[in-house]
Amino acid sequence: MPLAFDLQNVSFAYEGVNAIRSLSLQIERGDRIALLGANGSGKSTLLKLLDALCFPARGQITFLGVPLTQELLRNDSAAIEFRRRVGLVFQNPDAQLFNSTVLDEVAFGPLQMEWPKEEIVRRVNDTLEFMGISHLRERSPYRLSGGEKKRVALASVVVLDPDVLLLDEPTATLDPTTASQVVDLIHQWKGTVKTIVTATHQLDIVEDIADRAVVLEKGTIIADASPSEILSNSELLLRANLTHAHRHSHGGVTHSHPHSHPHAHSHEPE
Amino acid sequence: MHIPDGYLSPSTCAVLYGLAATGWYAALKRIKRAFSMRTIPLIAVFASFSFLVMMFNLPLPGGTTGHAVGVTIAAIVLGPWGSILAVSIALAIQALLFGDGGITTFGANAFNMAVVGSFVAYGTYRLISGSSEVISRQRVIAAAIAGYACVNAAALITAVEFGIQPALFHDQQGTPLYAPYPLHIAIPAMMIGHLTIAGLAEGTISAGIVSYLQHADVALLRGPQTPSHFEERATVAFTNPTRYWLVIVSLLLLTPLGILAAGTAWGEWSTEEMSNTYSRDQIAEASKGAPLPASPPAGIRKLSTVWTAPFPDYAPRFIKSQSFGYLMSAMFGVGVLAGLTLISKSIVLRRRPQGRRP
Amino acid sequence: MTQLSFVASTIRGFTAALSRALASEQVAARSGLLQNIDPRVSLIGSLSLAVAVIVSRRLTVILALFALSVLIALLSGVQIGSLAKRVWLVVFAFTGLIAVPALFVTPGETLFTFSWAPLSISKPGLRTAAFLLLRAETAVTMMTVLVLCTSWNRLLKALRMLRVPAEIVTMLTMTHRYLFLLIETAEQMFEARQSRTVGHLSGHEHRKLMSSAAGVLLSKSVSLSEEIYMAMISRGFRGEIYLLSESRLQPVDYLAMAGFLAVSLSAVWLGR
Repeated sequence: MPLAFDLQNVSFAYEGVNAIRSLSLQIERGDRIALLGANGSGKSTLLKLLDALCFPARGQITFLGVPLTQELLRNDSAAIEFRRRVGLVFQNPDAQLFNSTVLDEVAFGPLQMEWPKEEIVRRVNDTLEFMGISHLRERSPYRLSGGEKKRVALASVVVLDPDVLLLDEPTATLDPTTASQVVDLIHQWKGTVKTIVTATHQLDIVEDIADRAVVLEKGTIIADASPSEILSNSELLLRANLTHAHRHSHGGVTHSHPHSHPHAHSHEPE
Repeated sequence: MHIPDGYLSPSTCAVLYGLAATGWYAALKRIKRAFSMRTIPLIAVFASFSFLVMMFNLPLPGGTTGHAVGVTIAAIVLGPWGSILAVSIALAIQALLFGDGGITTFGANAFNMAVVGSFVAYGTYRLISGSSEVISRQRVIAAAIAGYACVNAAALITAVEFGIQPALFHDQQGTPLYAPYPLHIAIPAMMIGHLTIAGLAEGTISAGIVSYLQHADVALLRGPQTPSHFEERATVAFTNPTRYWLVIVSLLLLTPLGILAAGTAWGEWSTEEMSNTYSRDQIAEASKGAPLPASPPAGIRKLSTVWTAPFPDYAPRFIKSQSFGYLMSAMFGVGVLAGLTLISKSIVLRRRPQGRRP
Repeated sequence: MTQLSFVASTIRGFTAALSRALASEQVAARSGLLQNIDPRVSLIGSLSLAVAVIVSRRLTVILALFALSVLIALLSGVQIGSLAKRVWLVVFAFTGLIAVPALFVTPGETLFTFSWAPLSISKPGLRTAAFLLLRAETAVTMMTVLVLCTSWNRLLKALRMLRVPAEIVTMLTMTHRYLFLLIETAEQMFEARQSRTVGHLSGHEHRKLMSSAAGVLLSKSVSLSEEIYMAMISRGFRGEIYLLSESRLQPVDYLAMAGFLAVSLSAVWLGR
């Protein structure tokens, strides 16, 4: 069974910044990975490399045993095949919603795949139903709320029924209700052959969405283990800037310990 | 500077639409070659940006406010072809969505601001920048002057388009049917506002943005050839033929000015003029009193029958207005020459081996 | 000018633009004459009427076309009051101002002389001003009504179906889509700046503010376009634009088209 992704000593830089440094990673089919790291650790760049939106300066990435290169994707049929099988949901929904209506947006991918019209209409309608946004089909993107935009963004990728889903900070800027809806959605795919890689810095959702956690720091992997192992390693989390320690006081007692937000928490006075 | 509907005659609108369309077509081809698939999002977002700049209320030295067009910075960052497209799209949205500028006059507006504006801005900027460093002060000054120049160039062309309307398009009673002010009123009227306010606004904002980008995002100033922002190497160069076309076109638009000159050119008299009493007096006056022969010289009479021009007096019979005929024949003449040039160019170039740039 | 008044007026301009766009979507959603015709027909029809306005050389014909455009507006559910306020008054002020000197300057038979000044209005001057004003008002009315009644999407689809190059239409679509995002971003930037400013800013400082704001927006725009490009590629974009459906023309569309053309041609004929 070929690996979904096999990264060997991949390096990538842009605008003089070394975003990814000699990174090696193996992703099996069906893996659900949480990519953890602070802003600037290289999470988004790694996802873009996996989606062949940029190509490594050194090293190699293979997808199901096939090396991902610019030449490969210049071939139309190879490009169609790859773009259908791997889908990326961007962090900024405004970049992803570039069509004038929700309907056009969700239909964009299938149209590029050159599927027959009837099938496109059917799939689009099904996906809109599935994501609960059928009532928004004629709406323009700038009149959507943050949560609605996210759901449209997800729909526009999911409509292609990809084998690999790459999600870049899917719950950022979402209110708790919508965020949990997104988490539920990802959770739904557990046990399927779908490979899911979610980049996030929100530690409280990691256990729901992943069976494996990979921690990035300054473009390299510093840990790769199960979520519970990673989350209980407070030193590691501190080092990776996923948590912070600050002093706070209650009931006349002052202490400091590492924690991360947004976890509602309370303390008993010591 | 946005011309509303009703100020330009249908024929003027049609001609300018044609010129603008040529610009759009050429720009689209070049831009697709330069940026390929990036073209659409880049131009679209830049058009939005240009639209936005047109909405800025800029405080100017002296206490007034002005509005810029944004064409200069578009030309600097995208090159003249990208700028033509981006500014045209911004103007289209202004016209359609906000009623700023007419629909029949959209071609005129696009030609004046997007086409002429882009080339003048780009050419001036490149000329004054020379080979200076991207982060040098010279570039900022170049941007300021380019902005000032291109807005005034566009305003001048607009003024000429206005100014020729009353002479060319009026009804039998002499009532101007479209823009009512002749050139000697239209030109100063338009230029005053642009030489002082609008030109300064465009120059100021262009210089300001270039100055800002010099320390915030230098890559954008390196023009469309930047690898870090745009993948493929662009071959958007300000090539010589384009400059000449521009000169030709502007001369073409100015041809009706010839009507303003009264009388006939010295030495270009026809047999009729040499016979007619009135014109004979005029000829004598122009020749400082030298006496004329009693009747047209035999040589002139003989040769005048050799060739009858297809358009005598610069206008075919059916065109009533002298000035319109003037314009038409100028365009016809240029068109014939242009056609011959292009045909001969393609014949010559076909012989040579293709040397394409990588 | 008071501090940051340029910023304030720029913000007001932005907000006005946004609200106008939103208002137009309301009219497009109603059921009326133009809304029920295929957008291709209403686009070509409006254009042919606008051309007829420009071509006509008789004031009576142009006046008739103006009346027609008002009728179409009424039948399409456009409020005359808002039309008057947003369109007629604005055009009157702008074109009126330009037309006034023509009253005095145009040579010809004198109609009226002022007793208190050496100014006289000539008959050709009056006619010229009338032509200018009427043409402007009518053309703008027609196009405004068209745009109010046809949502931007349907308008662009009409252009696409009329064989305007796909890239151009997509650029128009995307520009419109991102225009409001950029306006909002600019608004937020200016409002934040305004709230942080204490004291008076000189003209020079104002200009610097505007320039850096413009520069920031420019950088953001270019970065945004890069991201959009990647989002397009990610979903399979290879340079071709595809349309989902092309609507069929109904009998009522053919009827409307015939109507538009008939009126335009007779207007051109009568107004020659």
